[in-house]
Amino acid sequence: MNWKRVCAVGEVPENTLKKFDVDGLTIVIANYGDGFRGFPPLCPHMEEPLAESGLLEGGVLTCSKHLWQWNLRTGEMVGMAEKPLLTYEIKREGDEVLANMESELVYDYDEEDEMDDDNFFAAD
Amino acid sequence: MKIKVQTKSGEFEYDCEQDEILLYAGLRHGLTLPYECATGTCGTCRARVVEGEAHLEWADAPGMAYVKQKKNELLLCRATALGNCTLRVPAKVSEGINHDVLPGYRNGEIGNVRLLTPDVMCFDLSLDQPVTFDAGQFVVLEAANVTGGRAYSMVNYRRDTETLKFVVKRKPDGKFSNWLFDRDVEGKHVDVYGPLGKATFHPDDGKNVFCLAGGSGIAGIMSIITRGCEEAYFRDHKGYVFFGVPTVRDAFFLDELSAFVDTVPNNLEVTVALSDEGVPADLEKRFPRIKFGAGFVHVVASERMAGKYDNMIAYVAGPPAMVDGALTMLVLEARLPGTDIRYDKFT
Repeated sequence: MNWKRVCAVGEVPENTLKKFDVDGLTIVIANYGDGFRGFPPLCPHMEEPLAESGLLEGGVLTCSKHLWQWNLRTGEMVGMAEKPLLTYEIKREGDEVLANMESELVYDYDEEDEMDDDNFFAAD
Repeated sequence: MKIKVQTKSGEFEYDCEQDEILLYAGLRHGLTLPYECATGTCGTCRARVVEGEAHLEWADAPGMAYVKQKKNELLLCRATALGNCTLRVPAKVSEGINHDVLPGYRNGEIGNVRLLTPDVMCFDLSLDQPVTFDAGQFVVLEAANVTGGRAYSMVNYRRDTETLKFVVKRKPDGKFSNWLFDRDVEGKHVDVYGPLGKATFHPDDGKNVFCLAGGSGIAGIMSIITRGCEEAYFRDHKGYVFFGVPTVRDAFFLDELSAFVDTVPNNLEVTVALSDEGVPADLEKRFPRIKFGAGFVHVVASERMAGKYDNMIAYVAGPPAMVDGALTMLVLEARLPGTDIRYDKFT
């Protein structure tokens, strides 16, 4: 466990998302009304910056580039999304939002590229 | 040449002619290879060459921003094979293209060229072979002396037709549109590939229809409304069309849109939004079937559509900023699921 303070609760109003840098790692915090989610800054589809392309309504995050969607309450993919959204464990302590950022979450297009041999045919 | 594609849903093989675009060859064989713009800008058709050699026709294509060239990736819509190739496509692919609208190559003769505004023209293409397309689809047009193809949506709707109708806005740096505007193109021939595009209207959807278009983006919307009117779709469903242009001098198709409303005045509404000027006093008298508003088209639509989104499917077409504004409105205000918002991303 490596809990780090990301922001104050009031910095991310309901139904908005905002990008933060924490000790060299970038995380997007989304306030979906009932709680907060934290995830890497780029869409798992085509690397769109979710802090700009992301829309949040009714607990559903939409990347406006190709309308991939995720239910932030359950973590499930919605509609046209073909890859899950990676999320950091999040907790609130008083007025602060903390994320368990033991290691950086990255999609396979970054390091273990999805088109490399080992994981290309892996199930989504 | 034989092209093998390894995909997330298995391996496929198709034939590709010399100098044929890899995407176009795959699509005409019925493979659902991923694509959106089909002309090098969106990056959706990214693939990797695993074996063999391919040639990239347009190395500076905007869509190359999504491609890792050091890993031998390319855009299928801008590349040709130099021999047998094995490709990897990071998507689920099937052989499921609707064969009624299987894309293919045709040649078309330009005719009936007319200016609709100083920088918008319309023309017909008379094809050497008939084509069937869905309302909302587009084709890629290429002229012999202009590099690269350009995607244009059909204005008309007809199955098994030899005539396609288009509307084109002149773009300052648009080589193809400048060729159309600067040359006497009546009677000239262009290569045609298509139909393409998934932002299509099907009466089986059974939903009310909301269309939001900016400028020449109205083309595909005209096709959708044409099909809806011809098949009496709006007898049982609502249709809302919002068409944005800067000023009334930039507006076109107002007579045609009025005629659509005339067929189903209780269920079809057309609103023209003028972003750069107020609504001239006489406009509503000249076009009594059309409503007018001042402001960006998605803002005008947002104001007038509140509470009307029940059982709705939305179609969006236009300049990138308008499309972005419209998508934001449809997700945040209309709360439509992504599966009920149809548009082809060209950026």
